[in-house]
Amino acid sequence: MDLTQANLLEMRQIRKTFPGVTALDRVDFSCRQGEIHGLIGENGAGKSTLVKILAGAYHADGGEIVFDGENRRFTSPHDAQQAGIGIIYQEFTLLPDMSVADNIFLGREILLHGFVNHHHMRTEALKILDRLGGNIRAQQLAGQLTVAQQQRVEIAKALSLDARLIIMDEPSAALGGHELDMLFEIMRSLKSEGVTLIYISHRLSEIFEICDRVTVLKDGERVGVKFVAETDESELVRMMVGRDFEDVFPPLSEQANEHVVLKVGNLSCGEGVQDVTFDIRSGEILGIAGLAGSGQTELVRAIFGADSEVKGDIELNNEPVHISSPKRAIQAGITMAPEDRKTHGLLLDMSVGKNITLPIVKRFLRFLGLSSKKETETVERLIANLDIRITGHDQKVGQLSGGNQQKVVLAKCLGCEPKVLLLDDPTRGVDVGAKFEIYRLIRDLANNGAAILFISSELPEILGMSDRILVLSRGRLMGILDGKQATEERIMELATGTNSQVEAIGEAVHHG
Amino acid sequence: MKAEESSLRGDTFSILERGGIYIALVLVLVSAAILSPAFFKPSNLFNVLRGAAPLGIVAVGQTIVMLGGGIDLSLAGVMALTTVVVADITQGQNISLVPALALVFGIGIAVGFLNGLLVTKRRVPPFIATLGVAILLEGVRFVYTKAAPSGSIPPLVRFFANEAVGPVPTNLIIFFLVVAGFLFVTHKRPFGRHIYSTGANREVARLSGIDVDRVTLLTYVICSTLAVLGGLVLAGFIGYADNYLGRGYELDSIAAVVIGGTSFAGGSGGIGGTVVGVLLLTMLFNIVLLLSLPIEYQLVVKGAVIIAAVALYSFRTNRN
Repeated sequence: MDLTQANLLEMRQIRKTFPGVTALDRVDFSCRQGEIHGLIGENGAGKSTLVKILAGAYHADGGEIVFDGENRRFTSPHDAQQAGIGIIYQEFTLLPDMSVADNIFLGREILLHGFVNHHHMRTEALKILDRLGGNIRAQQLAGQLTVAQQQRVEIAKALSLDARLIIMDEPSAALGGHELDMLFEIMRSLKSEGVTLIYISHRLSEIFEICDRVTVLKDGERVGVKFVAETDESELVRMMVGRDFEDVFPPLSEQANEHVVLKVGNLSCGEGVQDVTFDIRSGEILGIAGLAGSGQTELVRAIFGADSEVKGDIELNNEPVHISSPKRAIQAGITMAPEDRKTHGLLLDMSVGKNITLPIVKRFLRFLGLSSKKETETVERLIANLDIRITGHDQKVGQLSGGNQQKVVLAKCLGCEPKVLLLDDPTRGVDVGAKFEIYRLIRDLANNGAAILFISSELPEILGMSDRILVLSRGRLMGILDGKQATEERIMELATGTNSQVEAIGEAVHHG
Repeated sequence: MKAEESSLRGDTFSILERGGIYIALVLVLVSAAILSPAFFKPSNLFNVLRGAAPLGIVAVGQTIVMLGGGIDLSLAGVMALTTVVVADITQGQNISLVPALALVFGIGIAVGFLNGLLVTKRRVPPFIATLGVAILLEGVRFVYTKAAPSGSIPPLVRFFANEAVGPVPTNLIIFFLVVAGFLFVTHKRPFGRHIYSTGANREVARLSGIDVDRVTLLTYVICSTLAVLGGLVLAGFIGYADNYLGRGYELDSIAAVVIGGTSFAGGSGGIGGTVVGVLLLTMLFNIVLLLSLPIEYQLVVKGAVIIAAVALYSFRTNRN
């Protein structure tokens, strides 16, 4: 790379706060013309927020953006597009029932005498698609394409706008090995044409393979910028995590409890979970590991009765139970903290108190109706137990920080006094301090006799928290490891069926 | 500094937004006094309140459905069918009132089940499901009456809809009882929480162990049942059955609910706003009459009030 090149993009002192959380705190970020610039950081480090500000989807609360020598303020995605900035999101934005050409020129249809000129649009679309390769026809429906092909159409859409800076937000998450190679080929050819690329990924191996430089974010601040040639993976991991993980986890349970609380036999649910058998004892934390989307969430949802078409046997305290709905699960003593607390866990516009008692409100029923005294007692006890920081019971959950929201989810689970607790990534998007509190809480619950299934997208968390670790791959059980002896390498071997240490380190610092 | 200012502005705004409906009510009362002194005559006030009761009763049902995230376009059809069936069966006699009432409440509950099952089991969007049922009911009514309703409303029904206990119209008492029932259920029964949470986020409610399909189904059954009651009160008030009785109540009830600040998407709002919304609409209709304006102006006024209310509330959504 030509180091004398001027910066195409400079973002200075960018600030952004959401209610209850500072997403970006005076972040500087710059790209040189024609480079591929990696952007990495833990969950919630602020990567997506930063690029969304750049793409005009969010407005910064402060700071300035200089693009191509001009001071810019993008007030809408359209603004940013006009300036030559394209973004490819994790979730694609193609309309499945429209043709590839129509998708590429959506909102900017090429007209002839006031009518849409399909012929011209097809030829223009083909011209761009040819640059990207991959055998896509312009008149194909977008919904019929593979994920990799759809991604290529997204890139074509950006190029059709003469984008000079293209942001890719975790494009590799959904791609297989060969497709990833093709993507890198496209990125290199775009680079040779002078297009600048920002590449977000949680896989460090990819950063080293494709990027020139890399910026590391942590907790909304920029930790540093490195040339990939001058750094290594362990340095980047340290920058991202900021500490050694070993100290933060509470000790594993000492004596093995023999009482099996939950026994799952040959559990299957659609494509996601296939023939999984395991059991979990009282006081035990069983971690569930695997690559993203390997069936972890589907497994706990199946146990919780959240999805239909579940097959298999579930025994609770040696009694077979039939769990056909979450209602039955809660009655039987199983509760779940769902993966996405905002859309599945909490009613954001409702008060903290009402959220906590939602599953158990019937318990406060007296002769004359609900007893608000009993309810308040319960809410206060749980808020104190979990040290939830709020201004009052009536505060709306949506106003709390991520960590406190997650504690409300846990309080809601605990209110049900469960025998089995299913925790689906309970520290996702939670700041570091709250993470440590949540670790301690989970261990306390286990020590009090609960059986806990624990999913995390961060492998070090699984290793630090679990008494045993169950590894899934494509919905199948690959093995159960002892928590004291498991290593990242061993888990990744099982999760991928290969022996790739590089991938293991990449997965260790998961995406955000 | 800046934050303080904006929070101050936020407070002023939220007072306006929460209290806007009450301010509007006062404004209407004041302008009524100025425009038409006849408005405040006891006999006129009595009439306004008596006229508000049928709409009020069905608007309570509509509020329940909308809080749960649905909408009911079929309640006017239920009201209309109720009036013609009661008139036809009783022929204006108290003697056969009991079987007639059993029949119409049976019909109401059945219609509620139909709406609810379409929405929950067949996943039909509530708007479409209840629209279809509304058209179906209209057809059934025309077939039943051969487009010429006959009979009249029994004295007992007329008494409950038309008389007064002291200065208070009987049908207003019925309305208040319905409102009280609503308040009891929403504040003192788990079912109330379940309605609100189902409307706010169905998936969260389901994962919290609430049988959301049952909750939705019940909201439609309650609404249709209240539509029967509203139909009886309206018929008793009018005194006869015809093809047009109840017409427009589905939209008027939605208007009252929306003016009252209940979210169209479900999960937030309440009965207080709906009651005021009902009073506001009824008073505006009355003022149009008192000013001897053509009845068509009622529509103009109604449209303007709905637009104003919704525009005010949508500030809130945009701000968040």
